[in-house]
Amino acid sequence: MPIVFENIHKAFGDKVILDGVDFTIEDGECFFIVGASGAGKSVMIKHLIGLLRPDQGEIYLDGEEVSRLSEHALYPVRKKCAMVFQNATLFDSMTCAENVALPLRKHTGRSQRESLVAARERLAQVHMEDFADSYPAELGDGMKKRVAIARALTLDPRYVLFDEPTTSLDPVSARRTDAVIRTLADELGVTCVVVSHDLVSIFSIADRIAMLYKGHLRMLGTPTEFQNTSDPIVRQFMRGEAEGPMEV
Amino acid sequence: MSGSRLLALPARVGASLLSLADQVGGMTLLLSQALKRLVPPRVDRYELVRNLHRMGVQSVPIVMATAAFTGAIMVIQAAPLVERFNAREFVGWGASFVTFREVGPLLIALMFNGRVGANNAAELGTMVVTEQVDGLRALAIDPIGYLVMPRIIAMVVMIFMLTILGDGVALIGSIITGDLLLDVDPRTFLASAIPMLGPWDVIAGLIKSAIFGLMIAVTSCYFGLATRGGAPGVGRSVNASVVAAATGIFVADYLSTFVLG
Repeated sequence: MPIVFENIHKAFGDKVILDGVDFTIEDGECFFIVGASGAGKSVMIKHLIGLLRPDQGEIYLDGEEVSRLSEHALYPVRKKCAMVFQNATLFDSMTCAENVALPLRKHTGRSQRESLVAARERLAQVHMEDFADSYPAELGDGMKKRVAIARALTLDPRYVLFDEPTTSLDPVSARRTDAVIRTLADELGVTCVVVSHDLVSIFSIADRIAMLYKGHLRMLGTPTEFQNTSDPIVRQFMRGEAEGPMEV
Repeated sequence: MSGSRLLALPARVGASLLSLADQVGGMTLLLSQALKRLVPPRVDRYELVRNLHRMGVQSVPIVMATAAFTGAIMVIQAAPLVERFNAREFVGWGASFVTFREVGPLLIALMFNGRVGANNAAELGTMVVTEQVDGLRALAIDPIGYLVMPRIIAMVVMIFMLTILGDGVALIGSIITGDLLLDVDPRTFLASAIPMLGPWDVIAGLIKSAIFGLMIAVTSCYFGLATRGGAPGVGRSVNASVVAAATGIFVADYLSTFVLG
């Protein structure tokens, strides 16, 4: 099993975010974690690469328990498990090409010049080659997300974590981002873990979905199973209905 | 007066002391983590060069202006006494001694703190609240080696270099002002300054400037990386960094004056 979450508990002060969550993500699948805002979706994936530590529970990546590793010991984990943040988190002081070149320069022993050449190729893959010399502040949200995806893919990771990749994007950019994620899973065999509440994305590219609600795993299944569920809370969320039993 | 009011003052004093201990401890920890990256060197040289340029080279105009006026002010302040005691032959030594040993390093450090320290705290604070630091960690890049170490090295090196430059400019400011205001010939000025100044007078000032640079670097990096709470948090960090570093500079100046003589 490539990714296993076992009995994950996490609280910030008195506020319990995750209260014993278990699930497993299979190799090469496009796995969505959904739930209302504040349900702990982003918290869940940040645990996987050690940006947050669980209060209790264990996380296995390729059979290795990663939740207790030191910051230094987590570096190999982070090289094979990239993350695209909700706000892209591009470095403002660098151009797009320099942003993408940074992990190459730091981890592959290439010179800055070689890294920049490779970075331009990566940017071309997400149709951002014309903006290689632009700074993040000069780009729109969709463009930043694409550059962030290019940067996350530079080290050819086996796993990519996407934190709300389509939030704040226009519908066309959102569907293009979906296509990139699906291509990663289908053509490169990359395991994609996507945190989202974009229903269009969920039903168009997800292989399986886990829904978090009030700190617990409410449902785990395929998009079809989610569509046909009789659980009133899951049904309300999946239909995007304002009225219903769900507490937000 | 109620009991809760009586306890309010000691409680506040206690909270302030705890906060101070927390900050000093945090800065010490950050410095120790940074020093561990020195052997073997784990410093990003591109970031180092970038910081040397923006922290040092871009600070040259403000340091030159500060130093020129500092040198001039030394002579202006000395003018009444020089006139009264007809001590023109001591003007060069007096102005140079005070500038090199004390006022030059101190004022340049305070300017450097306002310009570079504040900027550094704001930049790191913004990187924290926009998750750029987490972004670095997610790329398996050590934020201490990549962000903190180049900044500490750049600040210590550049404040040292800027103080050498500032000392020279302050000397020129003193000579020009002495000539214009007190009619002290530049040759007389230098003839009084050079033989009476020892190398230690210059070196002591430079050692102080390096200590001040380290203080500004560690303080601004600490408060920047400890930023919480969005844009208002960045503002609070910048404010705390500038005040803490300025206070630290004066304390360090006091202590180093004893040690360095």
